[in-house]
Amino acid sequence: MAGVDVPQPKADKGKGKKVKRQARLGVRIDLTPMVDVVMLLITFFMLTTVFNTPQTMEINIPPDEAKVEVAESALLTLRILTDGAIYWNMGIETPEKVEFKALRPFLEERLKSNPKLITLVKVEREATFEIMVNIMDELNLAKITRFSTAPFTEVDKRVIAKAISA
Amino acid sequence: MVKKKGRVNIHIDMTPMVDVTMLLLTFFMLTTHFRPPSEAEVILPSSHSAFKLPESDVMTVTITKDNRIFLGLDSQYIRARLFGEENKLKQGIEVDKEALANLLIQARIINPKLRTVIKGDKAAPYGPVEDVMNILQKVKITRFSLVTDLERS
Repeated sequence: MAGVDVPQPKADKGKGKKVKRQARLGVRIDLTPMVDVVMLLITFFMLTTVFNTPQTMEINIPPDEAKVEVAESALLTLRILTDGAIYWNMGIETPEKVEFKALRPFLEERLKSNPKLITLVKVEREATFEIMVNIMDELNLAKITRFSTAPFTEVDKRVIAKAISA
Repeated sequence: MVKKKGRVNIHIDMTPMVDVTMLLLTFFMLTTHFRPPSEAEVILPSSHSAFKLPESDVMTVTITKDNRIFLGLDSQYIRARLFGEENKLKQGIEVDKEALANLLIQARIINPKLRTVIKGDKAAPYGPVEDVMNILQKVKITRFSLVTDLERS
């Protein structure tokens, strides 16, 4: 569909007249199909580009040797069970259950009543990674940026079992 | 009487349009990087954290939901050094928990700037994640990140 102005062949060629030098051809190419194709390609690349690079949650853990003594009264222990149930206790009190939805206000209130709060998170090994990330996310959102993790031991299991039966 | 106008022959010059679209096309072609085929499919958990995953110098420890651990590095050179020439094109290599500590140390010797990220599947149990975190602690990587998706809420 390129509209090319083809020069008309001179009929009177070779009749003694001087052949006129051909002037610049007026070429007009219809670019619409090209635009179509280019637009298609653009749409393709726009749709396949991944703009949302994954987010990360940064964690700093203390070196192996560091041991910190903490006051029992300032120690908030969160125990997370396999089914996602959350139990909390201060020091050595009996654990109590808290719903995940209520966790953030609960943590904020705890932190307000004791700014020196030290949080210890114990997650049962069979719990999913998602639960753990969610808990850590809630802690971060509640401005508790310093917390520790500890293995969920048999002792914890017994404590929780006692709390449930009580 | 107003004479009805006939069809007007319109010629639009498409050249500037092509210029612009070509520019856009080049931009998108250059910014696109296709998602590299990963060895293990992982569904990420979501969080409110807003830190972006760095593009380069990343060492990824992937934990799948069936408890397998993959170590991925973004540089072909380090992959060739660690896993052998034949494995350098693979994004991640399955590793044992016992071998992980050693590999992490070696990778960090080759490139001390490497940052460690843990990419755990949503449904992966916490146990292996805890083990990996303990290994990291043991090899003195005290700073690492967990890869998550942005929570939409």
